Amino acid sequence: MSAFVRHPASVEEAVGWLASIPGALPISGGASLMAMINARLVEPSCLVNLERLEELRGLSLQADGSLRIGAMTRHRDIAGSALLVGAHVLLRQAAAVIANRPVRNMGTIGGALGHADPAADYLGPLRCLDAEIEIAGRSGRRSVPMSQFILGWYETALAPGEIVVAARAPPLPAGATLYRKVARVSGDFATISCALRLEEDGRGTTARAAIGACGPAPLRSETAEELLRGGLGDAEAVARFGAALQAHADPIDDVRGSADYRLKLIPRVLASAIAELTGADRG
Amino acid sequence: MAEGLALIVNGKIARVAVGGAKTLLSALRDDLRVLSPKRGCNQGVCGSCTVLIDGEPRRACLTLVERCEGVDVRTVEGLANDKFMQALQRAFVVSGGVQCGFCTPGVLASARALLAETPAPDEGEVKAALSGNLCRCTGYRTIVEAVLAAAKEVSL
Amino acid sequence: MKFAGAFDVKAPRPAVWEKIRDPGLMAACIPGCDSIEKVSETSYRAVVAVKVGPISARFSLVVDIVREEPPTRLVARARGEEGGRASALSCESLLSLTSLGEAGTRVEYEADVDVTGRLGKFGLGIMRKKVEQLSEAFVAAFRGRLEPAAAA
Repeated sequence: MSAFVRHPASVEEAVGWLASIPGALPISGGASLMAMINARLVEPSCLVNLERLEELRGLSLQADGSLRIGAMTRHRDIAGSALLVGAHVLLRQAAAVIANRPVRNMGTIGGALGHADPAADYLGPLRCLDAEIEIAGRSGRRSVPMSQFILGWYETALAPGEIVVAARAPPLPAGATLYRKVARVSGDFATISCALRLEEDGRGTTARAAIGACGPAPLRSETAEELLRGGLGDAEAVARFGAALQAHADPIDDVRGSADYRLKLIPRVLASAIAELTGADRG
Repeated sequence: MAEGLALIVNGKIARVAVGGAKTLLSALRDDLRVLSPKRGCNQGVCGSCTVLIDGEPRRACLTLVERCEGVDVRTVEGLANDKFMQALQRAFVVSGGVQCGFCTPGVLASARALLAETPAPDEGEVKAALSGNLCRCTGYRTIVEAVLAAAKEVSL
Repeated sequence: MKFAGAFDVKAPRPAVWEKIRDPGLMAACIPGCDSIEKVSETSYRAVVAVKVGPISARFSLVVDIVREEPPTRLVARARGEEGGRASALSCESLLSLTSLGEAGTRVEYEADVDVTGRLGKFGLGIMRKKVEQLSEAFVAAFRGRLEPAAAA
């Protein structure tokens, strides 16, 4: 064992190393971090291996019906978990289309959150499910709603030395869900993605939707969702809903599509996803 | 460099030096001269470094070697007597699924993991399992045919 | 990558010009600028740190004033490398100052920024967003220096 890689046995030990060694980075699955190290995009002085931290492992249903996914849970395990039922199925749908099988055997949800690639597949679903992110640092534990977790391009609420411990999704009313990913080829990052779930109450059904890869953080508008209530079958109402999300978008130009193309896709992807889910409901 | 690390590669214990963010791929190729996993993109995209770790296909180029102590690392060199690999090898020869050969060890690792998990895959399942392995020669058709033929042979 | 924009400062044009030509003040306003050293009346050396997500880079830049027409126009060129990493940054910029009378001065800028090497590889789309963020931070800091009342 080298001094370059530390193998802490507890979260406290891990965040202690991260706080005390300048240039140290946590490594979870390594699928993104190792690629960046290989390309010399990042040059950490030390890697703190989170693999042995029991607290960061696996999925569990809590007594209050919320779902807790440990940060070190791999995409493969989320894609295959029977604990994800009801609206939480959205996370399974997203995990199943991340990259390819070998990478899903490596990458973790905590790593994806910490890296916060705007096109990462979990971000929209977690936002759409009103998830909270559990964080640990040397000064203690805290929890941040997904709506406030991403602060900018690749910038998160994690302070230096802090790590993601888990993502927690609250219990939600059952409803159909869909994760729609538009990508150039299977396994690529999304050009744009749409996480969608239908939610019904006495006042009618509405869509809860988060658009990914069209800004630093997923786009969601609870106000627009309320305006849409009862109007899922009305093309004009759905178009207004798409326009409301489009108004908040700030996409980049890259090899996966121009900013303009992404903007144009927002209402179309949303409308087609809603049509698919509502059609499935009737069927 | 510390005293090194004990890996289990193809069933044998092998000691490798550690240091920095050394990858399993570097340990296999540069230290142990196990050369079937290829260094293609070194970014986890091309799939030519795919090996089996505890039976699962993973990217050797993205795997920190210091996380491999005590795990079972398999490359095609260590699968010569494996019934799935033997069937795959025969089928690849018959269908012409190998051209330049650079991607082949990675493709075989992914295909072997698929057959062990899913004995009678359909074409869609084969394509999904191999979607992380790029081949610039064959156009994939002969590779997919080979994996389907191997699955049939094993199940007979 | 081409950028252009404008901002107004509540200060008379000669005062704005003077500040633009004050390396100490510019260093304090440029986000990530660790030092500026005057080599001659028209040439400076600067060290600027840039952070894009997980990537941190430090560029050693040579800034040359190519042409100036006080107090209205300034053309500058900056070039630099990231120590030993085969990544380079170059930037040509044009500043124009227009007097708005009582209202102050309008500063218009055009810049053409080129990034090659590892930061370029990370993606120019994201670099553009970063440069836009840095420009906003610069304008806020620069205004703060010239409009002490507004900053307070």
